[in-house]
Amino acid sequence: MTPLSPLTLFLLASLLLLSLGLAGLVTRRTLVGMLISVELMLNGAGLAIVAAAKCTPASDIHGQLAALFVMGLAAAEATLVLAMILVVQKRFGKVTLDDVSAIRSSDALDSTDLAESDI
Amino acid sequence: MDQAIEQILTLIWSPLRALDAFLAEHLPGQETAAIAAYAFYVLVILAGGLMAIGSRNLVRAMLGLILTFFGVAGMYLLLGSPFLAFMQLLIYVGAVCVLIFFAVMLTKNTNEGEEFKLPSPASAVYGLLAFILPLAVLVPLILVNAPNLKQEAIEPTDTSYLGEGLITENVVGFELISIILLVAMAGAVFLAWRRQPDKGKNQSGQNDPAKTKELRS
Repeated sequence: MTPLSPLTLFLLASLLLLSLGLAGLVTRRTLVGMLISVELMLNGAGLAIVAAAKCTPASDIHGQLAALFVMGLAAAEATLVLAMILVVQKRFGKVTLDDVSAIRSSDALDSTDLAESDI
Repeated sequence: MDQAIEQILTLIWSPLRALDAFLAEHLPGQETAAIAAYAFYVLVILAGGLMAIGSRNLVRAMLGLILTFFGVAGMYLLLGSPFLAFMQLLIYVGAVCVLIFFAVMLTKNTNEGEEFKLPSPASAVYGLLAFILPLAVLVPLILVNAPNLKQEAIEPTDTSYLGEGLITENVVGFELISIILLVAMAGAVFLAWRRQPDKGKNQSGQNDPAKTKELRS
């Protein structure tokens, strides 16, 4: 067995995060669960970028800044997804994907009208 | 008596010694302590990730996510990037997790919602495939194409260089991230605001029923 370089080890760890996130994205039923899985995958991406920057002759600073940008984008993404989840929750009463995929069907609109008349 | 204690200690330490010998044989030239820390962080990431994707209770899933964030922060420390490790804790554990917690609580998805049911067999199979396929494709790729680099010791980065990089050559990206964050927050407020008109009757222009209807259709 050839010795594993640190770059390979860290890339394997980030690959583990990617696989876990993908599996979660497929199995979760609600938007919140999928948001959690996407955060897992984004962490894997940041780890891979930093590992590639630190363990190769590439620019160390640029790699870390790229990872910082990934974190900023993840924060922005989480904010927007929270707003979307709120809107979907108010319109449909639940955030299950199977219900939201029926966004154009008539019965979904009917239930929205019912909710309006309640208020 | 002393001998018995010594024997017990030997018994306890022997697996660790065997592990040490194994690591020294297969991963030569690397600090055993670093390898042990790496293995620990991988275990933390694996446990947290499994909890995050497998727990039926979304609050527990979020706790697993926090565990994973800590594991990744440890990886950043191992990579000699302490600033990134602390940013990881500050941004992800401090901000993103609070947002996710809000999302969980506002959708009342704690322990009865749809997520609490066990996944159907089909979705479990798809999940397993989604877990195995990237590993099956990318692990051999990484192992085969491992660059033959002469590894130097990983030195910690001086944080002042990061700040310098942010305000000199990466200033455009830095400003763009600020704008994206501002736009995302304004968009979030806008999205959440437009759906409020029924409750806030005293907000002018928002409680016109015809207009509300128009917005919704």
